Amino acid sequence: MLAFRLARPELSANLAGLALFVVSIAVGTALLTAVWVTGSVLLGAFERNGRAILGGDVEISVRGEPLVAETVAALEDLATVSRVVDLRSTVRAGDRSAPVELRAVDGAYPLYGEVGIEGPPLDDALGERDGAFGAVVAPALLARLGLEPGATARLGATEIAMAGLLRAEPDRLGSGAFMVGPRVLISGDALAAAELLAPGALAEFRYRLRRGEGVAPEAFRERLAALEPPRGWELRAPDDAAERIRRVVTRTTTFLGITGVVALAIALSAAWIAAGVWVRKRARTIALYRLSGAEPGIVAAQHAVILAIAAGAAVAAGALAGTGLALALAAPVGAFLPVSTAPGIVLPPVATAVATVLVGIAGAAIPTLAAAADIPPGAAMRTGETAPRARPWAMVAGGALFAGAVVAAVLRLPSLDLAARAAVWLVGATVVLALASAATSRAVAALRPRNFVLSAAVRGLTERRATTAKALAIGIGIAGITAVASVRASLDDALQAELPQRLPALVMIDVQPDQRDRIAALTAEVGATDFRAVPNLRANIVEVNGRPAREAVVDPSERWVVEGDRSLSWTGEATDQPLEAGDWWPAGYDGPPLLSIEEDVAEAFAVGPGDRMAYTVLGRRIEAEIVNVRVEEHRSFGPDFLLIGSPAPLAQAPHTWVATVEGPDAAIDALVGRLGEATPNVTAIDVRMLVAQVRTAIEGAGLATLAVAAVLLGVGALVVAAVVAADTDARSRESLVFSLVGASRREIVAARLAETAAIGLVAAIVGGAAGLIGGWWLADEALHIDWQPGIMAPILPLVLGILAALVAGATAGRGAVPRGRGELARRLST
Amino acid sequence: MAGAGTIVRLEDAHLSYPSPEGEVPVLRGIELSVARGESVAVTGPSGSGKSSLIALVGGLERPTRGRVTVLDTELGAAPEHVRTRLRRRAIGVVFQAYHLVPAMTALENVALPLVLAGEADPTARARDLLEAVGLGHRMTHRPGALSGGEQQRVAIARAFVADPDLILADEPTGNLDQRTGGAIAERMFALAGETGAALVLVTHDPGLARRCDRTIRIDEGRILAEDGVEDDDRSAAPAAGEGASTHARLQARAS
Repeated sequence: MLAFRLARPELSANLAGLALFVVSIAVGTALLTAVWVTGSVLLGAFERNGRAILGGDVEISVRGEPLVAETVAALEDLATVSRVVDLRSTVRAGDRSAPVELRAVDGAYPLYGEVGIEGPPLDDALGERDGAFGAVVAPALLARLGLEPGATARLGATEIAMAGLLRAEPDRLGSGAFMVGPRVLISGDALAAAELLAPGALAEFRYRLRRGEGVAPEAFRERLAALEPPRGWELRAPDDAAERIRRVVTRTTTFLGITGVVALAIALSAAWIAAGVWVRKRARTIALYRLSGAEPGIVAAQHAVILAIAAGAAVAAGALAGTGLALALAAPVGAFLPVSTAPGIVLPPVATAVATVLVGIAGAAIPTLAAAADIPPGAAMRTGETAPRARPWAMVAGGALFAGAVVAAVLRLPSLDLAARAAVWLVGATVVLALASAATSRAVAALRPRNFVLSAAVRGLTERRATTAKALAIGIGIAGITAVASVRASLDDALQAELPQRLPALVMIDVQPDQRDRIAALTAEVGATDFRAVPNLRANIVEVNGRPAREAVVDPSERWVVEGDRSLSWTGEATDQPLEAGDWWPAGYDGPPLLSIEEDVAEAFAVGPGDRMAYTVLGRRIEAEIVNVRVEEHRSFGPDFLLIGSPAPLAQAPHTWVATVEGPDAAIDALVGRLGEATPNVTAIDVRMLVAQVRTAIEGAGLATLAVAAVLLGVGALVVAAVVAADTDARSRESLVFSLVGASRREIVAARLAETAAIGLVAAIVGGAAGLIGGWWLADEALHIDWQPGIMAPILPLVLGILAALVAGATAGRGAVPRGRGELARRLST
Repeated sequence: MAGAGTIVRLEDAHLSYPSPEGEVPVLRGIELSVARGESVAVTGPSGSGKSSLIALVGGLERPTRGRVTVLDTELGAAPEHVRTRLRRRAIGVVFQAYHLVPAMTALENVALPLVLAGEADPTARARDLLEAVGLGHRMTHRPGALSGGEQQRVAIARAFVADPDLILADEPTGNLDQRTGGAIAERMFALAGETGAALVLVTHDPGLARRCDRTIRIDEGRILAEDGVEDDDRSAAPAAGEGASTHARLQARAS
């Protein structure tokens, strides 16, 4: 093959000229691969592990009291049953105590997946030895209590021994994101011995089912439905369990995916420009080939071979690096989620990423090769500027492939709706950028400044095509970075600013009615303040205005209020929660049951003051008249109840209270210590510690988004470098002329800086605006958080744009001014 | 030859360029004076140092030894900004490779020195000069849209636009066919005559050299001969003799 033979010497001698091309492609490929593989690994884990996450084919859960024995027996006829009891409690060792997420399991646990334990197998670990029950605990508990593995600690009325360290729970994600403390796994016998299940205790009884082999799915579902007790139960399938987490993952992968799209677009632009620069620098050599008798086709083929080899190496390196990065990121996720990095999960996204990038590179290559083929042999003879330009058809074809690659990347986003909007945003931002820079250049063209430096700036802006290209190249990067920065600021704001303000310092659960006064007194003694205690019960809504509750739901999105038991409290006087409708009962009211509902309940059934509702508490049915509707307070970790009843008859039902206090750190620490002695059954949840954990998580997320922004910035810098490289040759010629006709070095550099600063300003303003709009869209539509771009988001694009432009200008300017003896004379004769 | 009318004076001017193998001497002890309004042709084989002589006189390079005085400014000692000013105000340069700014129109290219000088109305004078070189109809064209001859005429107009005292031309017709080159040289000589500018013209074209007041020949960085000094009989210098004598001297040195 002639093309190969011609390409070989060029490859060995001239690949350095393609460095920018190679780096752009490698970085773009690496980012896209990393993003897509990460998404695939995460989503794949949900699709294949839904049952492990849930803990069974179906999970039935009830609170307060277990299912009656007959129901359990009926379940066991249908399926293999694993019984799990969850509750929050406290583990004590010496003078230290820690709230824990306690989980009592039976021998069948886990039905799916495996528990990762450092120590003996689960069954052995949980056995009783020397009067102490074995426990498998999260390592954090040992750290908090200052214990070594094997040591014992107190749980309620019994002793537990730290028999194993919990490394991975298959159903960790299914059990909710909010954990008050480390996980502790014990046996059912240990739970019984601890005597923690007092009436009204906030225990959750879970029955995980693995459908018997002889039972058909349809029949299984029907027979299960028939077993539901009057008090109701919550029944979840694997899809339900994964739903919430899937939303988080979708959000994450969307964010990453959009980053990937932006990075791809920027990297391909850089590759396009770099390829163009390369051919322009080779124009004379190409003309020599043509002089020696090479047809345009051979020239195109020769350069196609060189570009293909360079691009192939870059794509391979990028794909490898990206895959490696994604796998490294997947490793820590393994503690929460049984992720799989099997080839079937990892390779398809890698292949798609490679294919997408290759399509984009083909787009960049077509105009480049067309321009190369069009260089006439006469160019070898000509002195002065040779600027090969691709024909319109090549630009259109290249542009179409480029757009195709970007569209393919957009279509990979988890939600097509999001994808469509993102695509509209990207295209819109590009068009706005192009129009704005074209308009600026038109407007500026009318100016005719006398000053040499200013006129250089004007001239730089009035080359419409070049200005648009440069402003686009820098502007896309700025838009992406600004969007990410503003989203990051919004996330920060949403998580950091809103959380702590509404939080008490300490929450105490399982407070018995007779312990309230004691805790209130302790609170005052240690100097803590704002003691509040509210009754804490669970209720099932069973009837609304005489109709069964499930049939009375009119708003399907609020259906959850009838699924399982919901939070209920009672109060003798008005609370400070704002009312949407109706009024509170008067203080000291002791008449027939009245009910205050939260707005979700009102929406679910389209009810309000005057309507009637029946609910069950601990098996007892209570019918009440609704008197008011309360406004829901979002993001509040304080006690928040769906239903609040008048005192009678709830005050007589067995139940516990939830208490909160606030105050200085020392007082709270003292209170926690005193509670251990005075009220050992009460679990104190240190909210400050939780807030600190959330903060750490937020900071981690902030670092991650910052890293993403930094990568985008890096890719953006590649474009700037490409733009500078594109200019340097032409600019050095121009500078030579300037110095010939009597411009000083300072004037030349200043002119160059003025020119690029002007372009940078346009790119910064337009790109920054596009980025802010994109960030607003991401925050509002994709992440559903308030858009709080902060001060950095508007400043960042200005700084970046002008910085990028100044760097470009300084580099081009410096390289362009001849320095050193002989340099000038040498340049003059070419 | 030094006197009030002298605008260029080189005294024992040396120039060498650095290279990986050490300093490469290019000019070795040039002695030259150019009077106001005088035209001097510089001839010699390729690589003899002709273009370096132009770079030296134009203040683009500093002599490594000796003195180069242009319009009473000693260029070897003058700082960069003085040399820049001088170029802007008093020296016009024309090169074989035109050296126009591709992004600028013909008019903008010609007006450039005046813009740099902060002239109030740079385009009026530039227009006049483009008319003078016969490009009145091409003012808004960029170099890419002009033929080689037209580009060179733009370069000549630019060289004269600031009304310089000295024009340095390095093979201005080297890229052009004989007829175009001749016409362009004609314009250049005419403009020099009108403005009274001195002209230092590097050329391989004996016909062009004959049109100058005198011709100096350079080889290996030295002036070998000077023909037609203060001589009205310009046509006397034989075209063939120049090449032959250089050749003869080279042979003489070799033997």
